[in-house]
Amino acid sequence: MNIIATIGEILSQKIEYLGGRSIADIIIFFVIIFVSFIIAKIVRVNVRRSFKEKIPGTTLIAVEKIFYYGIIFIGLVIALPYIGVKLSGLLVAGGILGIVIGFASQTVVSNFISGLFLLIEKPIKIGDGISIGDVSGVVKDIRILSTTIRTWDGIYVRVPNEKVFNSSIQNFVAHAARRFEYKIGIAYKDDADKAIKIIENLLEEHPLILKEPAPQIFVEELGESSVNLTIKIWAPSAHWYSVKTEMLWKIKVALEKEGIEIPFPQRVIWMADKKAS
Amino acid sequence: MFGKYDLSLHLEEEGIKIEVEGKGKKRIYRRICNGEEVEKHIYAKEGNIVICPVEPVNLPKEGTAEHLLVKLIKPIIIEPDVESTFYVTFPVEIGVFLVDKRDVERIDIFTLTKPKYALYGPPESGVICRWWESDVYGEVPEIKRLFEGVLRVDAKNSYREWVEISKIVFRALDMKVFYNDHAYMHARLNILKKTVGETSFNERKPKNMQPSIDIYEAKGIKKLEKKFVAEWGLK
Repeated sequence: MNIIATIGEILSQKIEYLGGRSIADIIIFFVIIFVSFIIAKIVRVNVRRSFKEKIPGTTLIAVEKIFYYGIIFIGLVIALPYIGVKLSGLLVAGGILGIVIGFASQTVVSNFISGLFLLIEKPIKIGDGISIGDVSGVVKDIRILSTTIRTWDGIYVRVPNEKVFNSSIQNFVAHAARRFEYKIGIAYKDDADKAIKIIENLLEEHPLILKEPAPQIFVEELGESSVNLTIKIWAPSAHWYSVKTEMLWKIKVALEKEGIEIPFPQRVIWMADKKAS
Repeated sequence: MFGKYDLSLHLEEEGIKIEVEGKGKKRIYRRICNGEEVEKHIYAKEGNIVICPVEPVNLPKEGTAEHLLVKLIKPIIIEPDVESTFYVTFPVEIGVFLVDKRDVERIDIFTLTKPKYALYGPPESGVICRWWESDVYGEVPEIKRLFEGVLRVDAKNSYREWVEISKIVFRALDMKVFYNDHAYMHARLNILKKTVGETSFNERKPKNMQPSIDIYEAKGIKKLEKKFVAEWGLK
């Protein structure tokens, strides 16, 4: 019992060259720091495991670091008073520093928060064909501060997440299928029903023009120079562009093959009869 | 045509021509079907060629669809709490694989059918399906063996009302294709509501049949769920 009491006495004895702190205080300081490192490590591993499938790699690393250093910071805040560091002074200094950093990093924080919301809301995914403002292309990466897009021309574009979040986004492949349309004019002398049948048969042959919803072909308008047909086609979103670029010329060739004319704009002019005048 | 062959073969049937020529390590695979010719070099010392029907969702472009929609030419109406078995057909896609003890490698997939696709459900949440139209048969139908396969459907109406069915949607990932001289699948359809049906596949190998090479397993994709809930209507 005496030994324990003696050890207790030694530990609680305030030592001058330690700034008036006891050995126990120093031990508690290091224990808190040690424990906070261990907790931070455990949390980091668990965060990685839990969000591995849900958050992209680069973002996950950032989130891991936030948790890791956050816990160590909390450990430091708890431990520092044991070695005589007054937190009130630190808090005042930290507060002022915080305001300064806050103003300086307003955009960074805004991008970060927008990035988090983008990850939660998921309006776009890596690999999607999208249009944000005046940028249009394929999403290559969604990072914590920015989204990178490879435009259709192959140019690398980095868009800050704040802009992505605040812009209206068009996602071309978010839905399974999408519709596009053509407008084709045929001559007034030609049979529109026959033209519609020819186009229907042609569309039926193409595997990626969807059977359901079925294509719609109808006379939209009796134009100045032609009877205008509208053709509305549904295709899988992943392939609509190739189908669209392929079919228009095929329709033109098929119609002409069957003797249906696609006329130029024309105007019939009646010349006044000299004799009559 | 379906079966396991050595690395040297010559097959011709119903307008399809498949041959593997050459000796030693270097061989040439050649296939002609519907006027399309495919030629590939094979560098292999040993192994076999397996030709079998595969899940019919790979053509013309892989990844276009993961479902098969069978549109019934004549709809069927099922009484509540009644189980019935009927047969439909499905499009055959023929897979050619290079197989050895360690691995399965896809060489080619082709079909005599004209692939066509459809959207099942609304554009925002529906799925793209390989579209196929079939009659409904009470017994195993006569088929063009390399063109279409037999799909047995055990349908059960678990709903309290009569239900009319004119389309059935299956997920390719759930499919289990078997073959002898023709392709065969055995599916179950459980009607849960007037517009909702659950489809799954019987994986038990029928007598005198071989299991086909599973294109998803060959790609290393694990199958977790074994059922598909068709929730956007049966008509």
